[in-house]
Amino acid sequence: MDILTPELVPVIVANGASTRVESDLEGRFKIGDEIIVRNINPEGHTRLPQYLRGKRGTVKRDHGVFVFPDSNAHGKGEQPQHCYSVRFSNVELWGREGSPKDSCIVDVFDDYMDLQ
Amino acid sequence: MSSAHNRPLSDPEIRVKALESLLVEKGLIDPKALDELVDTYETKVGPHNGAQVVARAWTDADYKKRLLEEGSAAIGELGFSGMQGEDMVVVENTSEVHNILVCTLCSCYPWPTLGLPPVWYKAAPYRARAVSDPRGVLAEFGVDVPEDKEVRVWDSTAEVRYMVLPERPAGTEKLNESELADLVTRDSMIGVALVQAPV
Amino acid sequence: MNGIHDLGGKHGVGKLEVEEDEPVFHHEWEKRAFGLFFGVAPHGFFNLDEFRHSIERMGAAQYLNTTYYEHWLHAYETLLIEKGAISAEEYAARCAEVAAEAS
Repeated sequence: MDILTPELVPVIVANGASTRVESDLEGRFKIGDEIIVRNINPEGHTRLPQYLRGKRGTVKRDHGVFVFPDSNAHGKGEQPQHCYSVRFSNVELWGREGSPKDSCIVDVFDDYMDLQ
Repeated sequence: MSSAHNRPLSDPEIRVKALESLLVEKGLIDPKALDELVDTYETKVGPHNGAQVVARAWTDADYKKRLLEEGSAAIGELGFSGMQGEDMVVVENTSEVHNILVCTLCSCYPWPTLGLPPVWYKAAPYRARAVSDPRGVLAEFGVDVPEDKEVRVWDSTAEVRYMVLPERPAGTEKLNESELADLVTRDSMIGVALVQAPV
Repeated sequence: MNGIHDLGGKHGVGKLEVEEDEPVFHHEWEKRAFGLFFGVAPHGFFNLDEFRHSIERMGAAQYLNTTYYEHWLHAYETLLIEKGAISAEEYAARCAEVAAEAS
């Protein structure tokens, strides 16, 4: 579209702009895998929060293939890859200040982690 | 001369007016489209949509199963879809698990079912503390989670958007779907409130 | 980047404050700031990841001391100028005109 008109507003609202990519690409992880998050500290854009770096978690869900924000924010292309729900115990994340019954489940891209 | 501006404009007001007028002049935007968008998110897209999804899940076991397996498709069955909710996962509160949503990095939120997020959700205190002290945050919202219950905090770091399916309160057995939807609050679908049965 | 936006687990960033029954937008300018994103998006000057990163680049003090839609404004100013959609000079000039008209 050249310009967003009032008539097009309901269309763009209803359709959205998914960054899911239809792809046969295999992920590096499967559900149940015990992973360790990479210790990366890029100066550019990343969606890997600091509180996860170097932490151990369990892959709970594979969301499928999506555009990779770290590259897409810097003109380095979409680098599509799997994105997973990974569960981290709050004791793993916060030490003794973390409640043992609780966990954080975070969306982690393939490039952000390795198998333990 | 407009009487709306018989006072100096604030800094953001100046900047927004300047941007919008420049972009209009360059033929890049139609202000009426902006009006339409604002109206959409002020009046049409909001938590009343998510409440319908919840009420349907409470009254239709097959729908609930579909909702928990394929959130976007099931939510789409009720006519809700799109911007900032293209890929949705619905998480269920049960007697064993309490779920709470956050976006620690910015403000990601399931617009098609909940509309635009409230200020507190986007501000630093909630984003900082929801992951490290969810029970403390919940207590401030008036929700006391029993010690033996598990709390799961969902941090929306990617483009998947989450929504909580709250527990149906006791004492609502005789209510129809529409009456049930009226009970479901935005905060219960974020996970910072429980749904209350009518008094 | 390890910016201040990466708030998970931080202490000292303030007390939770909840406004009951808050409006979707608190000011008229916020409505325009919201709508501008979708008006500008079709032209492909920037994608959502660049938008988020431009806010992350604001600097910690400014990030914490400005409101949510001021962050969006910062993103438009930064990206539209960086990508050449508008020039810094014409934007500054227009801001000055708008301010003068109102006073």
